[in-house]
Amino acid sequence: MDGYRFPLDERKKAQCLSAIRLEASHKRIRHAPAFRELIWDQLRFYSWKHWVLQGALLLAAMLLSLILRRRQADDFHTLAACSVFLVFAGNICLSHVGNLFSFHMAELEQTLYLNLKQMVCIRMLEAGIADLALLALFLATTGGSPSKIGTSLIYMLVPFLWSDVLYLHMLTSLRSTSSAFRSFALGLLCGALAIFPLYWEFLYQSEYLFLWQGLAAAGLFMLFAEINRLICRIEEGDSMCLN
Amino acid sequence: MPELRLDRITKQFKNKIAVDNVSLCLSEGVYGFLGANGAGKTTLLRMVCGVLKPTAGEIRCNGTKIGKLDGDYRCLLGYLPQDFGYYPDFTARRYLEYLAACKAVPRDLAREKVQEMLRLTGLSCDQRNKIKTFSGGMLRRLGIAQALLNDPEILILDEPTSGLDPKERIRFRNIISSLSKGRIIILSTHIVSDVEFIADEILLMKQGRIIEQGTVKEVTQNADGKVWEYLAGPDESLRLNETFSVSNLKNEGDKVRLRIVSDTCPCDGAVPVRPGLEDVYLYHFEEVSEHVDHLERRTL
Repeated sequence: MDGYRFPLDERKKAQCLSAIRLEASHKRIRHAPAFRELIWDQLRFYSWKHWVLQGALLLAAMLLSLILRRRQADDFHTLAACSVFLVFAGNICLSHVGNLFSFHMAELEQTLYLNLKQMVCIRMLEAGIADLALLALFLATTGGSPSKIGTSLIYMLVPFLWSDVLYLHMLTSLRSTSSAFRSFALGLLCGALAIFPLYWEFLYQSEYLFLWQGLAAAGLFMLFAEINRLICRIEEGDSMCLN
Repeated sequence: MPELRLDRITKQFKNKIAVDNVSLCLSEGVYGFLGANGAGKTTLLRMVCGVLKPTAGEIRCNGTKIGKLDGDYRCLLGYLPQDFGYYPDFTARRYLEYLAACKAVPRDLAREKVQEMLRLTGLSCDQRNKIKTFSGGMLRRLGIAQALLNDPEILILDEPTSGLDPKERIRFRNIISSLSKGRIIILSTHIVSDVEFIADEILLMKQGRIIEQGTVKEVTQNADGKVWEYLAGPDESLRLNETFSVSNLKNEGDKVRLRIVSDTCPCDGAVPVRPGLEDVYLYHFEEVSEHVDHLERRTL
C-alpha cells in the first residue's frame, strides 16, 4: 500500500504546466542589476580604441621612463614625463564621460533605468580607478623612499587634477562647441599644462613643495566643485540633457 | 496598468512659458498630441519622461511622484526623442544591446529582445552595419526599436514618423496599434494622419495649453458648421484661397472644388460638410502657420 500512487494524467499535467508557463511569461519580472553588473555593463561598451590608446600610452610611459633611467637622467625628467602621460591618460578616461553628452544621447540616456547622472558617476568612478592604477604604476617607476614617493605623488597629481578640472569645466560650459574641437583644444591645453613646470625647474625644489601642496588641495576642491556642478546641471535638465 | 496624472504642469524658460498649466490624466490607450511647431509638445513630453523638471505642478504615476519613483518609473518608460541620439560608430545591434543594458533588461533576455526589435523594424539585415551609414528612415526605425526594447508600459514618441516614407509610416502605425493594449502610448506630431486612425484620444496643443481634447469624433464634432465646400471658377478660387483657410483644392473640369475652413459661410452657394481632423487642425493652427510662414519669409 505504501508504494501506491494515483496514476497521473500526463495530458492534464502538460496542459496545467503550459498554462502556468503562459501566465508566468506574462508576468513582468523586474531586474535590478547589482552595482558590479552596472559597472561591467558600462565597461564592456567602451570602444576597443579606448583600450588600445590607454595601453599604448602606458607602454610609451614605461618605455620612456626606462630609457631615461638607462641614460641616468635625473628624477625630475622621469617625473615630468610621467606627469604628461598621466594627464593624457586621465583625459582619455574622462572623454568617456564626455561621450555621454554627444550625438544627442544625453536626452535619451536621462530616461533610461541607469540614467545620465548615474552613468556619469559610474564612468567617473571607472576613470578614477584607472587613473589611480596608472598613478601607482608611475610612482613605482619613479621609485625611492616613502617620503620621496609622497612628493612625487603631489608633483604628478597637480597637473592631473587641474587638467580634469579644465575638462569638466569645458564639458559644462562649452556645450555648443563641437566635441571634436573641444577634445582637440583640451588635449593641447592639458598637455601644455603638464609640461609647463618643466620650464621652471627650480619649482621642483623642496622649498616650493608647499606651493604644490596648495595647488593639489585647490585642484581637489575644484574637481569636486566641477563634479557637483555637472551633476546639478544634469538634474535641472535644461542645459546638459538637451543638445 | 499605469496611470499618469499631470497636475497643473508649467514650464518656463527665462521669459517664455513653453507649457502653461496643463492638467491631464492618461491611462491605457493611444494619445495623439497635435500642434504646430513651438506649441509645447516636446517640452511637455520631456517633463513626462523626467528629462526636464516642471517649473510648477507635478507628475504622478499611479499616485506617486515620478521623481520619487526614480528608476522604477524609468523602467516603465520607452522614449523616442525628436532629436534621436545614437553613437555613430556603434553597429545597430551593439547600440541596442547597450541600451538594453542601461534599461536593466537581463542579459540573456536582452539578446532575444534585440533580435526581436530588429526584426520588427526591418533592420535585421543591417544589424552589423555602423549607425553612421544609416539613412534617416533607418535611424528613425532604430529609434523605435530602442524605445520598445524594455517592453515599456509608457511609450512616448516625439515626431516618430519624421523621415519615414509612406510605406514605413503605415508599418509604424500598425506596430503602434498592435502595441496599444495595456500601455499608455503618447504620440506627438504635427502630421495629422499619423494619429487620425490610431489615437484613442486627440489632444490639441497651442501656445503651451491643451485647447481641445477628445476622441477624433468628439474633436471633429466641435468643428461642425465650420467646414464648407464650394465649386468655384478659377478666378474666384484664387480670391477665396487668399481670403480663407482652404484645406483642400481639387480640379474638376474647368472648375475647382474648394474645402474651406471658416466660422461663417464663405460665399453664397457654399455647403457645410463634415469636418475631418485636418480641417480641425487648420482651424486652430492657421494663424500660427501664417505667423511661421511670415517669419520664414522675413528670415529669407
